[in-house]
Amino acid sequence: MSAPKIRLDCVSKSFGGSVVAVEKLSLDIRDGEFLAIVGPSGCGKTTVLNMLAGLEPLTSGTMTLNGKPIEGPGAERGVMFQDYALFPWRTVRGNVEFGLVYGPAGQGLSPAERTERVERTIEMVGLKGSHEKYPHQLSGGMRQRVALARLMASEPEILLMDEPLAALDAQTRVILQDELLRIWGQDRPATERRTVVFITHAIDEAVFLADRVAVLSSHPGRLKQIIDIDLPRPRGDATRRSGDFARLCQSIWELIREEAYRATMN
Amino acid sequence: MKHMALRLAVPLLLLAGWQLLASGSAQAPRPTTVAEAAIAMLRDGDLLAGLATSLGRVFAGFAIAACVAIPLGIAMGSMPTVERNLDPLVETFRPIAALAILPLVILWLGSGSGAAIAIVAYAAFFPILINTISGVKRIEPSLMRAALTMGLTPLTRMRVVLLPAALPSILVGMRIGLGIAWTAIIAAELAVGAKSGSSGGIGQMMFVFYAYSIDLNGMVVCMIAVGIVAFALDRALRWALAITVPWSRI
Repeated sequence: MSAPKIRLDCVSKSFGGSVVAVEKLSLDIRDGEFLAIVGPSGCGKTTVLNMLAGLEPLTSGTMTLNGKPIEGPGAERGVMFQDYALFPWRTVRGNVEFGLVYGPAGQGLSPAERTERVERTIEMVGLKGSHEKYPHQLSGGMRQRVALARLMASEPEILLMDEPLAALDAQTRVILQDELLRIWGQDRPATERRTVVFITHAIDEAVFLADRVAVLSSHPGRLKQIIDIDLPRPRGDATRRSGDFARLCQSIWELIREEAYRATMN
Repeated sequence: MKHMALRLAVPLLLLAGWQLLASGSAQAPRPTTVAEAAIAMLRDGDLLAGLATSLGRVFAGFAIAACVAIPLGIAMGSMPTVERNLDPLVETFRPIAALAILPLVILWLGSGSGAAIAIVAYAAFFPILINTISGVKRIEPSLMRAALTMGLTPLTRMRVVLLPAALPSILVGMRIGLGIAWTAIIAAELAVGAKSGSSGGIGQMMFVFYAYSIDLNGMVVCMIAVGIVAFALDRALRWALAITVPWSRI
């Protein structure tokens, strides 16, 4: 077993001294794996992602990437935000090329190479022909694709995704789950895939996408269990219909059911 | 077509009412006499020259206000320490109307263009500043965070995220500021004219009609001209806004 890509060691985070969002979280994330983090609302999953992104400091514990401590944001960790965070004054193309034009990700690329990569990425997410549209002219699903293209164009080592499909309707969601796996590279050998940390509250989504699912408990956020998802890849509609898929979803639901009920009743 | 007729109907009705009401008195300006005066003033070039002088002052004062208010607004909007320290000062000066500082300005700068420009700059400054601050503060935090995670340097972040994100609000402030500047210049010229009568501008023309020639028709022509220019300025700025920030619905 090779050294982990990312290591969280006894990480805690509290806000304002009293509210403990995450408590003593230890977790190894492997190179090239798709890790989903699920848990009821208030389990601090977004906080974990923000800490990985370097947007929020840890209260205690350590967090390392390739053995080096994470101190602040870096272009090698790309983030896809829950609200997509698209720049409304930039077109689809302007958003997708943003990191390459203004950030370190584009260094060493000639203008022609940059254009080529932007075109390829826009095509990959299925937005060909919408280059010159502004975000407000796009549907929710299309905006989500723009955000995904912007993330992929910079080719970060680590993809951090914060409930990227939460705002979509059920049909669009299913389609984009399939596409996400294709873009991530589920058809390619595991060594060529990027490391993904994917936050979601939807258990079926986590099971369908991930290699492993980390289940958090809430108030404070603690690691409850890590479930290996041994469903074969490539996954698709057949996966969703399989008995193993249902069984895995059920076992995760049983882990968090009690807390989810409690959270809803309060 | 129907809309156009409706739009014309209201002003025409007002004009007719005005003519009817004024016909009882020999001195009262009527649409017909005002139109005659307007044609004469346009013909000898006085009206346009006066408007041009006033507009020049407005643009100069407005440019000064924008050059100070926008950078200051960005600093106050993005740095809480700066805002905490400057906000009491701004909020103390803001209620002091441009006309209230007029005596002081005339004493310092005399009664020429300098004083008029200073008044305009003061008047336009606050709407631009307040809107810039709120524009910067209301930027979606996730936009700045997205730029952070893409590894942009602070200066690049300011140039390519903060500035365009706050731009719609800054432009709204400029539109309000220009409107107020135009109101302030007329008042300033009226007051400055009372002192010397040498400064020119549409406001001073009105003062001359009022104090020396007692020409009511000329005064009404000036008033209407001021209104028309204000309307044109606002429409021009709205148009500029629509083409500079096409993504924004303001």
